Amino acid sequence: MAKKKVFQISNALTEGLEETVSAAHNYSGELRVEAISLKKIELDPENPRDMALTFEDLTQGIDKADPDYQRKIEERTSLQTLANSVREQGIINPIMVYKQGDKYRLIAGERRTLASILAGKTEVQAKILDSKPDELKISLLQWMENVERKDLSLWERLMNLEKILSSYATHKKVTLQDITPTDIGRLLGCSLPHAMNFTAVLQADATLKSHIRVNKIKNLEKAALIAGIQSDDVKQSAIEACMEGATLKKLKSISTQDKAKKTLAVSPALPITRGRQMTLVNLGTTKKIPVARLIIDSVLQHEKVTHLRKHFSDLNWADYKAINHAFKQLLLTLEKLEV
Amino acid sequence: MTKIIVNATHKGGEGKTTNSIMLAEYCALVKKYKTLIIDMDPQANFSGRYIQMEYDPAYRGGKIPAIHPDYESNVDSEWDGRSSIANIFYGEEVVPYPTSIPNLELLPAHSHKLQEAEAVTKNEVLEKVHLQLKRFLELPDVRDSYDIIIIDTPPSKGPLTIAAVKAASHIVIPAQMEQFSIEGIYGMLQLWKQESYYRTKNNPIDLIGILPNQVRDIKLHKQFLEGLKMMKGVSDYVMPRVIKKRAIYTEILVEDANPKSIFELPPHNVARLEYESACQYIMERVFSHGKEKSISNQ
Repeated sequence: MAKKKVFQISNALTEGLEETVSAAHNYSGELRVEAISLKKIELDPENPRDMALTFEDLTQGIDKADPDYQRKIEERTSLQTLANSVREQGIINPIMVYKQGDKYRLIAGERRTLASILAGKTEVQAKILDSKPDELKISLLQWMENVERKDLSLWERLMNLEKILSSYATHKKVTLQDITPTDIGRLLGCSLPHAMNFTAVLQADATLKSHIRVNKIKNLEKAALIAGIQSDDVKQSAIEACMEGATLKKLKSISTQDKAKKTLAVSPALPITRGRQMTLVNLGTTKKIPVARLIIDSVLQHEKVTHLRKHFSDLNWADYKAINHAFKQLLLTLEKLEV
Repeated sequence: MTKIIVNATHKGGEGKTTNSIMLAEYCALVKKYKTLIIDMDPQANFSGRYIQMEYDPAYRGGKIPAIHPDYESNVDSEWDGRSSIANIFYGEEVVPYPTSIPNLELLPAHSHKLQEAEAVTKNEVLEKVHLQLKRFLELPDVRDSYDIIIIDTPPSKGPLTIAAVKAASHIVIPAQMEQFSIEGIYGMLQLWKQESYYRTKNNPIDLIGILPNQVRDIKLHKQFLEGLKMMKGVSDYVMPRVIKKRAIYTEILVEDANPKSIFELPPHNVARLEYESACQYIMERVFSHGKEKSISNQ
């Protein structure tokens, strides 16, 4: 009989079609990249800034009477490297703006914009959004922009994340505590373990956070590990070790002390177990018949089982199967006897 | 605002020109809209249905529009009497041709000039070609003269098709339910996606959908259509209308066909009903843009 014909659009083509439609929906009107005049860009007054330096400071010079004079000079110096690369290669990632009247408000790319001015450019490449995105979207966009940046400290990232989470909580009408690591993972597009690390550090106590704030602790994984330590003195020694540059492995071994300590305090009798709780004892196996015989003979010495000896007198000690069977019977009988 | 529909797919033989013809005649004959049709395909088949096209003496096989009926050689000293949509790429004036159908005007193709525009590769010139049709159709003179503009495109993803997509407010992708055609859909969706990235909210590009065309009662066609309808997201863009393969759709294109248009067939003719229903669906989507979306979002 002829094979029944089935015609199917290939998986690759199906996937391609679905992805295309989805991308068109999600990014419609959002990926317009154009060169816009630097003069038309303004800062968003509602967005808190980290930098004191303004556009005017770069175009007109920094006023010596400015209370932030020294800081601005330093900021300008620190922008110089970026400005040099902008002068040579332009910016690699376009900045992100939204249209506000005939101006463009900055969403992300303050440093790139300032560096472009410093480099003497008149235009900058920008992704242009049609209108102001909502709070949550702005913070997410800023997060994505910053994720690539090496110079962002752990504290700055945590502060960004806190902003995202509080906008998310307002958006979804839930409390901050209701946000799970799974939610965070989905929001940021990161792995679950990564998201769990963030959750742990956000919930860390004031001591640990103060060290992160001054950038003494810089690594998310290490910070998360320390945040999970219960006992205060172990935690303190972990913090110190971390600031002295201990590796993650070393910190893990410190944190296991904490675990050992904890279990001791709770119940010294219970061994630390992994996985499902054990409810039986496996007596193991042996290939050596004399060993088996020694064990069985020794057990049969016990006064409560003397009556069993007769069953073993005619056992064939060369037959593994017979020995196994006899030993199982012995165990069963012993269990019933409640020795 | 004037709506601009483009029939596009880079695979040939899918029914772009036929579909442009049907839509144009539906708009002009049935809906009595002031309709402009534009032929961007150097093959010039769309133009040839409505006006006399002549073989280009300079380029064998190429076609040029006949002398414009309004041309007067003693008055128009600056003009050679022929006008095509390709003129916009040469900074020349365009004069639409009247057709035998009331309300229907045509900007015909000019094979050689269009081929030249299609062959542009230099970046600065390319950008000009891409945006030229859009700029032209944004002229108040053009906008005020028509309710609807229908553009037929060449079977390619080149500068002419891109120019049409950039000018469009709506896209229709006619496609057969066959392997190469579905791959063609993929290519066109890419173009639509790319363009939609650049559009603003006030000026979106709306994909009306894929119009299953030349569908026969065979397993392959049925299963591919079902397959498209099963795809996440894509299903929203498979038009709930189907054009079957019928001899009448090609017979009506013959020069001395009688009647000349599907929409002059008796009102209950199966073919007329079928295409009328598809055109009606497309035009409802075109003119209720925005409304439809808000309903489906609720």
